Amino acid sequence: MVLLDNDVFLTQLTIMFHDARNSGSVRMSMKRYDGRTKPHPKDKQKKIPEPTEYLCLLRATTNQKKISTVVHPKDVNKFQLAYCSLLRGNMDGLKKMKKAKAKPKATQ
Amino acid sequence: MYLASWDEFERAAQNLYLQDPMKVTYSMKYTHKSNLLKIKLTDNAICLQYKTENQPEVKKVEKFINNLMRHMASKDHS
Repeated sequence: MVLLDNDVFLTQLTIMFHDARNSGSVRMSMKRYDGRTKPHPKDKQKKIPEPTEYLCLLRATTNQKKISTVVHPKDVNKFQLAYCSLLRGNMDGLKKMKKAKAKPKATQ
Repeated sequence: MYLASWDEFERAAQNLYLQDPMKVTYSMKYTHKSNLLKIKLTDNAICLQYKTENQPEVKKVEKFINNLMRHMASKDHS
């Protein structure tokens, strides 16, 4: 699992979507993350300092590749915009709903 | 088990997440070839799943992800 910057993550994810077009699938997961890099101590009595802020950990995998990124609260808005447009652009294989028939134009 | 409707999933997911935000994992799997999007939210005890083939549902999913991500990356402790 490679930890990437947000921007690099998004470009890599686009490539992964492209790779999975003909076969396979893309899996993405999202989890709350408190920034801890050490394991929790076995001794439950020991107080762990409360995290001051939470982060969001994202992972994406295909058959060949695994990537991950951490989103900081200050970057959430920016990242969301990019992430959502990426999803919308790449998850385009789904069925479209039938459009309601266009109203006939009023004759002039 | 798959839930029947998105609304049902969304409501159940919200409740589950708020019980213990640190435990919950959200994941989704997109298979282009079979035109399928599967969504899962679990706290390792309860598992909620939903699948769809319809494009308009993606918008709802996006909205949900946005809310979730905004909460995950915040100072909120609840």
